[in-house]
Amino acid sequence: MTDFKTLQLLDKFRLLFVKTGIDYDMMRKILHIKLTMDERKVPTLFNQNKKKGDQKYGYIKSLWIYVLFGLVLIPLMGFGQNFLFQMSISYAMIIFLIMTSLISDFSSVLLDVRDKSILSTKPISAKTINAAKFMHIFIYLSYLTMALTAIPLVVSLFTQGIIFFLLTVFEIILINLFIVAFTAILYIVILRFFDGEKLKDIINYVQIGLSLVLMIGYQVLIRSFEFVNLDIVVSFHWWNVFLIPMWFAAPYELLLNGNSSLFTIIYTILAVIIPIISIALYIKLIPTFERNLQKLLNTSKSKKEKNNRLRAFLLTLICSTHEERAFYRFATLMMKQEREFKLKVYPSLGFSFIMPFLFIFTFSRSGGIDYASSMSYLNIYFSMMIIPSAVLLLGHSAKYKAAWIYKTLPLKNYTALQKGSLKAFLVKLYLPLYSVLSIIFCYMYGIRILPDLLAILVTSCMYTLICYMTISNKIPFTKPYDEIGDAQGWKVMLLFIPIGMFVVLHYLITQIAFGSLLYCIMLLIINLLLWKIIFKR
Amino acid sequence: MEEILTITNLTKSYGSKEILKGIDIHASRGEIIGYIGPNGAGKSTTVKIILGLEGDYGGEIKLFGENIKHNAIDYKRKIGYVPEIADVYDNLTGYEYLTFIGQLYGLELEEAADKSQSLMALFGVGEAYHSRISSYSKGMRQKLLIIASLIHNPDLLFLDEPINGLDANSVMIFKEILTQLAAQGKTIFYSSHIMDVVEKISSRIILLYDGKIAADGTFAQLQASNAEGTLERIFNQLTGFHEHQEIGEKFVSIVQGGQA
Repeated sequence: MTDFKTLQLLDKFRLLFVKTGIDYDMMRKILHIKLTMDERKVPTLFNQNKKKGDQKYGYIKSLWIYVLFGLVLIPLMGFGQNFLFQMSISYAMIIFLIMTSLISDFSSVLLDVRDKSILSTKPISAKTINAAKFMHIFIYLSYLTMALTAIPLVVSLFTQGIIFFLLTVFEIILINLFIVAFTAILYIVILRFFDGEKLKDIINYVQIGLSLVLMIGYQVLIRSFEFVNLDIVVSFHWWNVFLIPMWFAAPYELLLNGNSSLFTIIYTILAVIIPIISIALYIKLIPTFERNLQKLLNTSKSKKEKNNRLRAFLLTLICSTHEERAFYRFATLMMKQEREFKLKVYPSLGFSFIMPFLFIFTFSRSGGIDYASSMSYLNIYFSMMIIPSAVLLLGHSAKYKAAWIYKTLPLKNYTALQKGSLKAFLVKLYLPLYSVLSIIFCYMYGIRILPDLLAILVTSCMYTLICYMTISNKIPFTKPYDEIGDAQGWKVMLLFIPIGMFVVLHYLITQIAFGSLLYCIMLLIINLLLWKIIFKR
Repeated sequence: MEEILTITNLTKSYGSKEILKGIDIHASRGEIIGYIGPNGAGKSTTVKIILGLEGDYGGEIKLFGENIKHNAIDYKRKIGYVPEIADVYDNLTGYEYLTFIGQLYGLELEEAADKSQSLMALFGVGEAYHSRISSYSKGMRQKLLIIASLIHNPDLLFLDEPINGLDANSVMIFKEILTQLAAQGKTIFYSSHIMDVVEKISSRIILLYDGKIAADGTFAQLQASNAEGTLERIFNQLTGFHEHQEIGEKFVSIVQGGQA
């Protein structure tokens, strides 16, 4: 175990901790172990392929995306005197990014129940343990904040002067304290009323939301620089009090623009007082928090399974054999309940929902679209981009070790399992997405495109099969996630090519009268045959 | 004999649910106490309270003559603990985890490293010392936990199902370790559902039932005042359980496709 530079830096502040009654050496040991473990969170399989020095700083390397987002702050923070507007937007961005990343990446630190049984049984004061926990999060938040704000801060130092720079640094520290305390209090409230599983679900959804926002934000950002308009005048309204970023923008007006209206002063006071109050409240609530943390270990209340006759009947139509139905149900549950699967698939699900629109509007800017006759609805093919990665992920699971049961089961072959899981994906994930898209598209382009939409749906089923053949999973949910390597990534990329071919084919066919209708029927027959042939073996 | 642990009228409730309804335990140096009871009787709650994992209890706990509320930290140095379901930082190696725990108990790194390496080797898992705990088998993990609980030479040990997953030879080694530790004056609380083992190794047995102590004494004393025969029998009798035959029959009949 090597020593960490961060901890050596922390050593310089040793006295500060000792003064507040914290056992610094003990805290350092705990932090050392925690940082060592974090280093290893990088998937083990990747590590083995790479050189030893490479696996270090895995987290720091993942920060480049935040550096990129930080660049957006340059025009907002670096230029102009319309502080109230500019800084409100800047702080809204900073708060959003830091808070979501705190929830998605460091919840595991805040909510680590192992700490309780391992550390609390040792002769260490609760104060020291909590300090270690707080410092652990603090170290990562500093990395993150620096990645996000370092470049804009340097720019602002030259363009806006030293006072602006110092004020911003001070406020960013306040914001970080506020966010940690606020998130922790949020957890306390959630744990107070719900059980641990609920909290894990909420965290999971925040993670999914964050990945989606980052994915789409990246796309939108590139196109959005022309929209940034620095001339907007913002005036105070009483309801602005609830806009937290505005508090932090007010001190700039007060100090740099000399605006000493009542609102500016109130907001400035709020910006300083509220973070301090929240951190004090958090420290006060720590014992309650620790006690409620125990809830994470408790089993959640059991739900009664609803039996739906109609659904059972429809299922017999989709899946012919008993085994296949059983696996269809199982795969549905896995997709719905395995948090890691959701985290990996749901963001791209949202992304593939947005993609068709992104393309339509990008093209529509160069020239208007006549929706009554346009062929641009073929952009809906972009929604199929979810399929390869979803099919790939169906082969994997965080609980891959549980797969030993398949070896012990009296199964001749695994086709029923594969068929069941593919169908579950199509019906439970893809179909809802596609239906909503279709409804919106029908509204935009008119019901004339209905046969085309149907043809595309059938194509997706066929395409799923192509993906399945290319990726060749042996049994669903039996491989660990970290086994997904570059080779698989390339396969997914290559699988985008057939989508393009389908688009061209579809386009050509629509030139013939009643082409789409015939195409649809033809596809349906081919599709049925393909599913039969491939799963015959 | 010097009294190590004194519990007087210990009570604990979760909301309106009373878990412990007034418990008195006196334990002396060198005793191996079989600490048994049905699921949910409050065994692990007692241990958790003693270790400071649970607060808000009624009554008094004295360890080595001192109330644990008065000095809530230092007494833990003298306690070793093997929990039943143990969380471990399993992305560390055995070496890293054991030295970390040793240091938390105030040992020097070198001392902790030497000790843990020799103990691992003696337990037959020396070759796994530098591999990640996540790759350990169940028995290896258990051995690691046992070593982690003993590395600081504690005077009082709480063991909850400690032989879970150990093979027969390792169990023999472990029993010998317990006997030796007791001979050196350590006090051991041994919790288990395997009655034969408890019967053989304990010098005294405490049975907890429904938040109260239902029996406390040597095995011979328990036999005298209750049913003769095995500890299992006594356990059944004291917890008022007689339907095992009936339930077993029903179970098998449902397995074979009959009606409940």
